[in-house]
Amino acid sequence: MISMDRIEKIRNFCIIAHIDHGKSTLADRLIEKTGTLEKRDMQAQLLDSMELEREKGITIKLTPTRMKYSCNGEEYTLNLIDTPGHVDFTYEVSRSLAACEGAILIVDASQGVEAQSLANAYLAIENNLEILPVINKIDLPSARPEEVKKEIEDVIGLPAMHAPCISAKEGTNIEDVLEMIVKEFPCPKGDENARLKCLIFDSYYDNFKGAICLIRVFDGTVKPGEKIKMMHTGKVFEVTEVGVFLPFAKPTDKLLAGEVGYLAGSIKTISDVEVGDTITHLESPVQDPLPGYKKVQPVVFCGIFPVDGAKYNELKDALEKLKLNDASLEYMPEVSQALGYGFRCGFLGLLHLEIITQRIEREFNLNIITTAPSVYYHVHKTDGSMLELSNPSSLPSPVEISYIEEPVVKAHIFAPPNFVGAIMELCQEKRGVYEGLTYLDEKRVQLNYKLPLGEIIYDFFDSLKSRTKGYASLDYELAGYQTSDLVRVDILLNGERCDALSMIVHKDKAYSRGRALTENLKKIIPRQLFEVPIQAAIGSKVIARETLSAMRKDVLAKCYGGDVTRKRKLLEKQKEGKKRMRKIGSVEIPSEAFMSLLKLDDDQE
Amino acid sequence: MLGVYVHVPFCESRCNYCAFSSFVRNDEIDRYINALTKEISSFNGDKIASSIYFGGGTPSILEKSQFERIFQALKSTFTLTDDCEITIECNPNTFTADKGRFYRQMGVNRISFGVQSLDDNILKFLSRRHSAAQALSAIKCAQECGFENISADMLIGVNKNTDDFLKQVELLCSQGVKHISAYMLQIEEGTPLEKMVMAQRDLLPDEDESIDQYNGVAKLLKKRGFERYEVSNFAVSGFECRHNVNYWTGGDYVGFGLSAHSYIGGRRFANANTFEKYYRGVLALDEQLSTRQLQEEHIMLGLRCKYGVDKKYLFGLGYDISKNENLPELLDKKIIFDCGGRLKLNEEYYGVNNLVIIKLLPD
Repeated sequence: MISMDRIEKIRNFCIIAHIDHGKSTLADRLIEKTGTLEKRDMQAQLLDSMELEREKGITIKLTPTRMKYSCNGEEYTLNLIDTPGHVDFTYEVSRSLAACEGAILIVDASQGVEAQSLANAYLAIENNLEILPVINKIDLPSARPEEVKKEIEDVIGLPAMHAPCISAKEGTNIEDVLEMIVKEFPCPKGDENARLKCLIFDSYYDNFKGAICLIRVFDGTVKPGEKIKMMHTGKVFEVTEVGVFLPFAKPTDKLLAGEVGYLAGSIKTISDVEVGDTITHLESPVQDPLPGYKKVQPVVFCGIFPVDGAKYNELKDALEKLKLNDASLEYMPEVSQALGYGFRCGFLGLLHLEIITQRIEREFNLNIITTAPSVYYHVHKTDGSMLELSNPSSLPSPVEISYIEEPVVKAHIFAPPNFVGAIMELCQEKRGVYEGLTYLDEKRVQLNYKLPLGEIIYDFFDSLKSRTKGYASLDYELAGYQTSDLVRVDILLNGERCDALSMIVHKDKAYSRGRALTENLKKIIPRQLFEVPIQAAIGSKVIARETLSAMRKDVLAKCYGGDVTRKRKLLEKQKEGKKRMRKIGSVEIPSEAFMSLLKLDDDQE
Repeated sequence: MLGVYVHVPFCESRCNYCAFSSFVRNDEIDRYINALTKEISSFNGDKIASSIYFGGGTPSILEKSQFERIFQALKSTFTLTDDCEITIECNPNTFTADKGRFYRQMGVNRISFGVQSLDDNILKFLSRRHSAAQALSAIKCAQECGFENISADMLIGVNKNTDDFLKQVELLCSQGVKHISAYMLQIEEGTPLEKMVMAQRDLLPDEDESIDQYNGVAKLLKKRGFERYEVSNFAVSGFECRHNVNYWTGGDYVGFGLSAHSYIGGRRFANANTFEKYYRGVLALDEQLSTRQLQEEHIMLGLRCKYGVDKKYLFGLGYDISKNENLPELLDKKIIFDCGGRLKLNEEYYGVNNLVIIKLLPD
């Protein structure tokens, strides 16, 4: 009976929300209100610990926190599992949800239900979680809590009339939320004497302890010294430490069924710790692993090269170190004629790509060039074989290709009705197939489209935001492959193909993209000693051409009075610049030029 | 043998585009000449001078007696070769027949006038103190004093009217000037001109116009029998400035005075650029050039003039320039000419010499 008592006083829950609806602020408030941390110890928005995350106001890394809360004379243990709120990390979110019994759905009192509110709520429903809506930001003058409650009921189908109305920022009605967690969320089920069954819902790398698993124990008990097995990877480890987060890691002597915490076992690489895997005892394993495991596959790819070719090894080190903490990052060596030695990297999405590239630049102080993001194509050859590739320059010659398939997504776009026209136009331009429109209420509609992923990663999000004045929100899930009329557009500089600038595009867009790219290149490439033709071509057929005229004058430093030092300084500067130059045939391009090309947007076409 | 440079850092006023070491301080001149003559007299090293060059500032600002003191110091320190070229830079408005005769007497055999333009409005715009008429009469006056070797400095890229500019150059030729230095105006940091250009972008001709002037001058002077022996320097045969050629071909030279540069036996050093530091003998720069720097400077200087780059010399320094990866293309495109033992820059590419130099430097 004592054990029943223990487990009945545990609440495992998470907070789900659309970006900016106040998830991290509420988490901070809960930690503060329960006295887990003194106010003065709290960094603003503690859970978002990475610098970049704080900057972007989004959470990427999940950090579970154990809190104590007394209610009606009983002390409860509340485990808050934070979740990333971005579409790139849907699988991670789903595993975090699987570790909980309840989810708080925060909705902004002025903005109402958004794409990710809905997507995450559905994920929570799929995982059989108890969902409790909370209306946040009631301090805003534009707050309309009653309407938003109705919206939640109508759109998501959750009862919301009794939802607490709070201001996480000002700390209003936080007690209501805590009380609701205790009263409304179910306690975990599980038997601490049964065979061990733990879910890995996240991992990170510790320089001293190796890869750390963040786990939810469903059944059984786990202690240091025990031999454990990862059921999907089959890897075996000896537990060296278990503990909980308060919110800083604190070792305990064991973790019991129903609890959330961490497990260390001298695990050398994070790749051995797969999110969604099940941990059991080696000697007395459970029969079946927990459901829901999926091997995470990158969907967006790009080449990463050092600006200074000599820094290849430093880039390699940086990727290795990032990979320690991020099992979903994939990379392999790549050689480009134009950019030299670098890596082809795979990411979960564009945000993931952006985070990784920025971390390489900031944390490792490396200047890098990234090539245009691309997706995985299925190239069916005339000989019946199939190639999977993401790098345009690996595409075989057109005669060898029977047909090409590209990945597509089902996209859900939420916006006020007056933007429907603009959104439909955009989706049309992006080769979208209309799949329906629902009026959520008089202020919001949901548009469903099937879109090629390759178009989504090419400036879709920014265009959507700019054409809807920032009102639209987007969510999508992968929906298989479709055959498309795709071609490779090459860029020729002075007649030489520049492999790093090749792209795979739909045939109908080849001309406009080719033209936009050549025009941009003309602006970016510095003038050379001779005239340089810049061409876009499909195979041997030139589809666009610009001419870069020859340079006529560079800085003429006088060598006066024997003072050649001025001239030399000038040369030193130019020499330094030369290191950053890439040579395509006889044309020199500053590395930065490759980056500015990526900024090419559709509105230019 | 050495080239000897003497810096006279004084001017009546500062021109708005100038970034050289010069000061409007008449009260400092005597003290400066004391230090300068002391520096010259205590020089230790090769004492045979093949050229002497008085540069500035405005050397012609000096009184005869002041100039004589410097000259005496030079003569008692150095043995001048029989054909020693002795140049003095003069501003048209400080040059007089009296000074001209005096310079002749002292042995000066070359005068370089800072003409810059023959348009009074432009001269005013550049805050020069002389007029076009003064410039022309100064040249005539110098000739009457017996000077044959006369050079004129002209500024390219100031006059928006290219034809007008070319007519001025033509006029100088017809006046019997034997040497013309045509420098592209550079907007130097911190000069009043920089501010003016910032405030009014179209104050000066644009890049294409400047280049047209540059090429126009080259074409015109060629027709008038001048040879372009360096990117910005043109001379009737035999009137090349030997002092400058010595700089560009890697010869030794010593510089006396404020901020003057010296290069002797691969060592480069320069005096400080404030009076106070100069008087204390402080050096602003003192370095022994590495093999690498010697290679680079040879290429950098050689490609600026008709003398070109000496392949054997570079090979001796450990750089086989014929193996440079960019060379075949440069030869193929006739940007570089292979003239036996020397590589020379095609005159048409003088304007972009830096781009070519960069390509030919050792890796």
